[in-house]
Amino acid sequence: MNKNLRYLTGPFSKENPVIVQILGICSALAVTVQLKPAVVMALSVAVVTGFSSLIMSVLRKGVPSRIRIIVQLVVIATMVILVDQFLKAFVYDVSKQLSVYVGLIITNCIVMGRVEAFALANKPWASFLDGVGNGFGYGIILVITAFVRELTGSGTLYGYRIIPESWYEHGYANNGLMLFPPMALIIVGCIIWAHRSWNKELQEK
Amino acid sequence: MNTNKNSYIITYASIMVVVVASVLSLTALALKPRQDANKLNETRLSILSSLGATDENYEDFITEVDLDAEHKLFQAVDGRVVIPVSGSGLWGPIWGYVALEKDMDTVAGVVMDHTGETPGLGAEIATQKHWSQYVGKKVFKEGEFVGVTLRKGGATPANIDHEVDAISGGTKTSDGVTAMLKHSLQPYLPYLVSHGAASSEPRGGACLGGAAPAAAENIESVRIHE
Repeated sequence: MNKNLRYLTGPFSKENPVIVQILGICSALAVTVQLKPAVVMALSVAVVTGFSSLIMSVLRKGVPSRIRIIVQLVVIATMVILVDQFLKAFVYDVSKQLSVYVGLIITNCIVMGRVEAFALANKPWASFLDGVGNGFGYGIILVITAFVRELTGSGTLYGYRIIPESWYEHGYANNGLMLFPPMALIIVGCIIWAHRSWNKELQEK
Repeated sequence: MNTNKNSYIITYASIMVVVVASVLSLTALALKPRQDANKLNETRLSILSSLGATDENYEDFITEVDLDAEHKLFQAVDGRVVIPVSGSGLWGPIWGYVALEKDMDTVAGVVMDHTGETPGLGAEIATQKHWSQYVGKKVFKEGEFVGVTLRKGGATPANIDHEVDAISGGTKTSDGVTAMLKHSLQPYLPYLVSHGAASSEPRGGACLGGAAPAAAENIESVRIHE
């Protein structure tokens, strides 16, 4: 049980898919301009990684190894389409916000990376936890980055105004640069820096 | 069992495809009514909010008018009309609804939306703050159709009736909105001119003939964006 818990919580910090394995950077740049899409994206990715890992782990004994990548793709794509359909039917506003990014989950390296590296060699429950853990590990970085970018770039958080109007009257200006993708890369870089100076064992010699 | 035999691989792949296809089509079929209802609801809400009448009942408040096969407009019971507009921004499609007062000249309100304009820059076209600028602008200048222009650097005093401030940092999107307002309103000019302040013809006359009360499919079809 303890080991299973580690599968879930490991990816939060020391095995974080974004800042340690450097996976899923591309979508982290795209959806972190504002907090809300980042949160929804994080949840959707956690659902997709969790269930694709679960399904692939159940199927792992019967999958012909020569076509396993194609099988993984089909399973992941199916999960993503299902998530997209459910979002459209039940939380239409959110699905509008995410628009094209939901489809991009398919291309998120974390999903396939975890299926290939973990689910094909482990039991279903452990694989599910590993998938969900990695999804949330990715989500944590997304949310931190989006927090910084939305606050400094638009002066809002989750769409609510944080920087008071009076600051603007005294010459404060939003940092427009924060709204562009390169800043996400720089912020993720800063997170990696802080994280590695905290966890000395992660530093390359 | 040897999972690498060709016959096994082919059988496996075929079964997988059939299973996945049925799961996906069943889900799509089961959820379609809900999704369509959501879309229709959003369209109706956009039309009502361009009129500033979100608390009205759509069925009672709006009548759909077919100008021709491709162009529809939505007429409110108080005589104002809503015209659907669509165009392209910097990254993708933009669309919206423009409500005109009874004189078919003064803008009563607009709503706009987009798929992927840059948040904080071009995406500002989808904010109340941006929409409120259009209220009271005129699309005709001395009898000539000019639309509403988004002027970089701010609306000029000489043209204050026909210009609004462009979005700083969102010039391409602003240009797209200007073009959208010009091109999408063009096909409606004959209607606007004949029903406008210059014309004494009573409202909602001939054009209304045969227009069924807003049917769900018809409203859906005006939404260019999918």
